[in-house]
Amino acid sequence: MSETTVIQVKDLNKKFGDFEAIKNVSFHVNEGDVFGFLGPNGAGKSTTIRCLLSLIQPNRGEIQLFGKHLHTNRKEILSRIGCIIEKPDFYKYLSAQKNLEIFARISGAEVSAKEIEGMLEFVGLADRAKHKVKGFSHGMKQRLGIAQTLLHKPDLIILDEPTTGLDPQGIIEVRNLILRLKNEQHKTILLSSHQLSEIEMIANRMVIINKGHSIVEGSVSDLLNAEELLVKFEVNDADKAKTLLSAYTVKAINTTTIEILLNRNEISSINKKLVEANVLVNAIEPKRKLEDFFIKTIQN
Amino acid sequence: MLLKNTYNELIKIVSKPRSFLGFGALSLLIAIILFAMKADGSSIVSMVTDSFEQTLTFNGNVINGNLIAFIILQMLIVHVPLLIALVTGDLISGEAAMGTIRMMASKPISRTQIVLSKFIAGALYTLLITLWLGFLALFVSHFIFGSGDLIVLNSDGLVILPEADVFWRFGLGFCVAFLSLLTVSALSIFLSAYSENSIGPIVATMSIILVFTIIGSLDASVFNSIKPYMFTTHMAAWRSFFSAEVPFNAIYQSIVILVLHIFSFLGMTLYKFNKKDITS
Amino acid sequence: MKQFVLFIAISFSCFSHAQNAEDVITKINNKFNAVKDYSVNVYIQANIPMLKIMPNKGKLYFKQKDKVKIDSKGITVLPKQGFTELNSFLNEKGAYMAIFGDSVMIRGVKTKLINVIPNNSASDIILVKLWVDLQNNIILRSQLTTKSNGSINIDYSYTDQINYGLPNQLKFEIDVKKFKIPKSIAGDINKTNQQEKTTKEIDKGTITVNFTEYKVNIGLKDEIFSKN
Repeated sequence: MSETTVIQVKDLNKKFGDFEAIKNVSFHVNEGDVFGFLGPNGAGKSTTIRCLLSLIQPNRGEIQLFGKHLHTNRKEILSRIGCIIEKPDFYKYLSAQKNLEIFARISGAEVSAKEIEGMLEFVGLADRAKHKVKGFSHGMKQRLGIAQTLLHKPDLIILDEPTTGLDPQGIIEVRNLILRLKNEQHKTILLSSHQLSEIEMIANRMVIINKGHSIVEGSVSDLLNAEELLVKFEVNDADKAKTLLSAYTVKAINTTTIEILLNRNEISSINKKLVEANVLVNAIEPKRKLEDFFIKTIQN
Repeated sequence: MLLKNTYNELIKIVSKPRSFLGFGALSLLIAIILFAMKADGSSIVSMVTDSFEQTLTFNGNVINGNLIAFIILQMLIVHVPLLIALVTGDLISGEAAMGTIRMMASKPISRTQIVLSKFIAGALYTLLITLWLGFLALFVSHFIFGSGDLIVLNSDGLVILPEADVFWRFGLGFCVAFLSLLTVSALSIFLSAYSENSIGPIVATMSIILVFTIIGSLDASVFNSIKPYMFTTHMAAWRSFFSAEVPFNAIYQSIVILVLHIFSFLGMTLYKFNKKDITS
Repeated sequence: MKQFVLFIAISFSCFSHAQNAEDVITKINNKFNAVKDYSVNVYIQANIPMLKIMPNKGKLYFKQKDKVKIDSKGITVLPKQGFTELNSFLNEKGAYMAIFGDSVMIRGVKTKLINVIPNNSASDIILVKLWVDLQNNIILRSQLTTKSNGSINIDYSYTDQINYGLPNQLKFEIDVKKFKIPKSIAGDINKTNQQEKTTKEIDKGTITVNFTEYKVNIGLKDEIFSKN
């Protein structure tokens, strides 16, 4: 992965009246990253993202995108970004195709009618191209939002809560789409989401912000591997396993399940130990570690 | 980018059902006026000429297309601002309410260009409404009532303008009427930049026009110093073209004040919208 | 006694002059009655306070006894009374009493004033004053006073149709003090500075009608007058 910095945010501050929405937020996103942007509600994620898109003017701080200052190179920078902020909103009285045409016209790139058709095909809305958006479900709007995001072939894609309100099928579709963008088109993606499992699955770097501050930033694997992991083992004899692993903090859930707090690199040795002692291991499952890490980080 | 987005704005205006409300309402109102004038025009006109007709007789085609056009203009020019504000007052606030302003403002188009394209589209809509009003008022009523000299009742008396001397007055009158409506359009776009719902700017625009018009028509000396600077005072400037001797200086003054208002409203909209944090 | 003598003197004076005055009117009527109909080009100029109208051309048709019609491209303004009323009234023998008044010079012509008083008190006409050129038996000035519309003064000028008593110019002077423009009806409600003018009373306005190209006794059909 190239280490060219696509987003560089330094000491970003924004006040709404007396309320400080973000305080000294700093992070950077490298080219090719799928960057997880995490934080509880009201942490300042949306404010930060809106600052990146010049929707909100920060009171202080520095934003550089593609190595250029946003303030002085807004037009050039925004022409290289595709985004969905919170939810994709469209002109309800216009068709999906007309909506895309409208946004394509101001995207800073020449987008042909064929490309618009192709994009609608890509997000599975080709058969609804002429239908007015007011009749679209949330999932369809979300897909149209993604089409709008990708229309002008941006280098950076910012997706703020792209799976909010989607059904499980829709969430999987969006996840697969992001993975395709990452793997096939090598786009840089900044992904803000409440779905921590999503971030864990697709992000390679992340930042957690809380109460307007950026708390932790780094590689997802590094951050999570540094932590002890709660791993669930499904075995044929939980009591025997618990006795065997008395050196660890082991909790028997039932007669066939135990949970052990350990480091990621210890999983294989524990598995070996159990098998050698004739304890059959049916399954090993690390338990939602990002969620734990997130909660722990926020609480700290 | 400005032209592209102006085209976008025109598509949006054309696609909104409310944009046709103005054309529909104008057509209906004018149809009602034409019907009333056809059915009972002479008694309607005699209300105006009554005090003269005790002593004088008016010979010739008094109720003609020019008179009807003038009556239509006079009656409707008060209501057209509402029809204009219905569309232009929604241009920014409607997008804020819908959330699309967020999508637009995150594109590589400057906010100044967004406002200017909306203003240009709003101006074109205003022009179309004015032209539609002109078409119905002048051409349809000429078709039905024929042509003739124009009797105009001003507060300083009756003016009878020869037929040949009327068309240019209507032409210039419509130009100044357009300028008045453009001021309304600019005002409603300005108010629209402050609001995140569609109704607020429309109601606020009409309220401002109403209050200023009432102040303008009150004979209270306390308001005399501000009256010359209120745009509503000059919204009726189109009518001056129908004086026997056209007061061009007064009209130029009105045009200057209306244009100043338009640029002030536009300037304030640009300032506000460029400074605005888009949080919707 | 003094009053009685005065009454007799006035009555005698009236009686003795009435014959002559009515003869003059009869001569004027006869002259005019020789015209069965006519058409004439008119050029109308109005100078009436609170009414601004450009001079206008038209064609006027007349047929005895009181049919009048003006064809014009635009709108023309004429006094409501004064065109046919006077002739109709003077033609009604026994409807009035005519008395000579003073002699007056009008535009260098010696005229005699004839006061014409209607016998019927219900008539709208209160008094008619005629200043007559006795040599040509033509009216040079008239004043028609009515209950409904005040006074109309008419000055007559003659050239080629003097034999028929048809003028080449009529200059009407009319009362305009009744004109009031209700501000609510006037469209320019924002013009507050005009208020003063509407209430200002201006007494007289004039309408001048020039007649050219008379065509007399051409057998005009009645339909001409019924067409709008």
